[in-house]
Amino acid sequence: MKPGEVNLGTSLMAVTFKGGIVIGADTRTTSGPYIVNRVTDKLTPIHDRIFACRSGSAADTQAIADIVRLYSEMYSVNFGEDPTIRTAAALFHDICYQNKNALSAGIIVAGWDKYEGGSVYCIPLGGSLHKQPFATAGSGSTYVYGYCDKNFRENMTQQEAVDFVKNGIALSISRDGSSGGCIRIATITEAGVDKIFIPGDQVPTFWNKS
Amino acid sequence: MSSIGTGVEYAAKAVDNSGTAIGLRVKDGIVLAVEKLLQSKLLVPISNRLIQTVDTHIGVATAGLLADGRHIINRARDEAESFRNNYRIQIPGKVIADRVGQYVQAYTLYSSVRPFGSSAIIGAVDNEGPQLYMIEPSGVYWGYYGCAIGKGKQVAKTEIEKLNLSELCVRDAVNAAAKIIYTVHDDSKDKAFELELSWITNETKRHEFVPREIAEEAERLAKDSLNEEMEDD
Amino acid sequence: MVTRLEQPRGGFNFDNFQRNVSLEQKGIRIPKPIKTGTTIAAIIYKDGVCLGADTRATSGPIVADKNCAKIHYLAPNIYCCGAGTAADTEFTTALISSQLELHRLTTGRQTRLSTARSMLCQMLFKYQGHVSAALIIGGYDVNGPNLYSVMPHGSVDNVPFMTMGSGSLAAMAVFERSWRKDLERQEAIDLVKDAIDAGIFNDLGSGSNVDINVIEKDKVDIYRNYYKPNERAPKEKVYKFKRGTTPILKESIKDILVITEGVEAMDIS
Repeated sequence: MKPGEVNLGTSLMAVTFKGGIVIGADTRTTSGPYIVNRVTDKLTPIHDRIFACRSGSAADTQAIADIVRLYSEMYSVNFGEDPTIRTAAALFHDICYQNKNALSAGIIVAGWDKYEGGSVYCIPLGGSLHKQPFATAGSGSTYVYGYCDKNFRENMTQQEAVDFVKNGIALSISRDGSSGGCIRIATITEAGVDKIFIPGDQVPTFWNKS
Repeated sequence: MSSIGTGVEYAAKAVDNSGTAIGLRVKDGIVLAVEKLLQSKLLVPISNRLIQTVDTHIGVATAGLLADGRHIINRARDEAESFRNNYRIQIPGKVIADRVGQYVQAYTLYSSVRPFGSSAIIGAVDNEGPQLYMIEPSGVYWGYYGCAIGKGKQVAKTEIEKLNLSELCVRDAVNAAAKIIYTVHDDSKDKAFELELSWITNETKRHEFVPREIAEEAERLAKDSLNEEMEDD
Repeated sequence: MVTRLEQPRGGFNFDNFQRNVSLEQKGIRIPKPIKTGTTIAAIIYKDGVCLGADTRATSGPIVADKNCAKIHYLAPNIYCCGAGTAADTEFTTALISSQLELHRLTTGRQTRLSTARSMLCQMLFKYQGHVSAALIIGGYDVNGPNLYSVMPHGSVDNVPFMTMGSGSLAAMAVFERSWRKDLERQEAIDLVKDAIDAGIFNDLGSGSNVDINVIEKDKVDIYRNYYKPNERAPKEKVYKFKRGTTPILKESIKDILVITEGVEAMDIS
């Protein structure tokens, strides 16, 4: 991170479930000790049923997402078909890998397509690409690996997946100083995108109830 | 429509004088067949293929000038590879047909180059199922259920029209294709030929040459039925 | 000897970079750009947006300009507050506004905020933070009133209220206390004024007056020096010398005779 650069000290989660995927993120954007935006939307639409979850430098990830959004749009115009999640992830991967020395971007690409259903791809800092049943990213992710490994199950229902993500982000927010604010969640299925906003005073609490 | 001499007419002539190539799009796949006329008895069988694999799921059969056909296939391979690199998925049939079609068309535009003396039949099985396209030297291309180019294209087309392509399975289509090539071949006028047969099935989604036993069986059936017809006459 | 003058080619030239580095190592001070230690703020209210800015420009500890304008024009329906290096905010907004004008002439449509936003953030991202312009874009387009903040590295936020510059913390405190959805016009102006005021009095980098800019559908009101909390008070005593303070000791008047000499024609025979 360059000095003065705006940081997405972030908690991100993405999970596949029976009919699609659920993604979630906190809403904090920081520049050094100052919170620049406390209601940021880090779940960025790439195509009708493809979203990117951004962590790292806000400027870098926004610029990459803008480029991939353009490519995805051109793909559907040229080939008369929505790009698959695999294709969108490949587009992110190419940019992240080829410019790895100039970027600080950790991105999760997730969505639904008619060939593979819901899928989650993770592109961490070095620019590698991983297809995963669920993924976490951002500075807050380290605090919830245990939670995720213990509680993730394949073929959850939509409600179970939403709760899994909601609690995961809440736990990560509670331990990571540079994550915080509210929780934003999106479910993507064949039916479309459904966005949920959880205000700061309704974020789940655990043993340390206030 | 007449032209002011882009050379496309002569290119089309080159295709019309070459051995016949046909493509069939059936229920569960694609079959390509080519009547490869042998210029010399010294040629090694199976060498100098006229049908080639462009990507795992795409096969192309060419007719006309050999070298031009090779060039078109190389371009098709480049397009398939670049699509794979960019989007990490197999190139759809209609996209490769479009890309190659545009490339061929560009060669009709400039004084420094001549049009290709080749037509290409592109067979592919993608997410949409089996796809068959034929590109002419002018660059135009259409999607087909069945198509034929080369010397025997008229006869081949009437034979293909007799087939019930939407009901046919790949296995039967191989026999039908072999029979059509044998029917079209004129023993008295033409040199000896070698039958090239390839297929792509919905099941494997791979373009491969028809296994030897099946191909030999198809050839035997084709020869038998021709002999029967001769005896009937 | 024949010297050939070479036409300089386009693009950047870094020839002086090495020279400047060695000069700096030898102890020569490189001139500093003027930084506008600034308070800028903006909010969306019921029928439009309200932009505000202080008017102090500083160069290190020196106040370089006591009444500069930090709300820049981008398009007839879009204005932009700038914080950071004065020259950078001035020239980036000028550059983008000219591109937007050409864009309007080719499309024949009103400029949208998202267009201005994209052009600014793509330019700032291209320069990787070396153009230090922190901007708040506000305006009214087909999508109604809208506000974007753009950081020097090229990141964008879309928010209902935003503050920037060194006084942003003081101004944000005022917004966080009093901001509500769908404020009335005068309430919005008062709130932005209060926010800038907080910046002026609590941040050393900000000072002097409050500029306010209100954009509604088909209507822009520019209130330059809307509020002047730092007017210089009249001096209690006047230090002017009265006429005749200096006594006249003597007076003498001389007549001056002007003699003009003729010019003789040159002998050219």
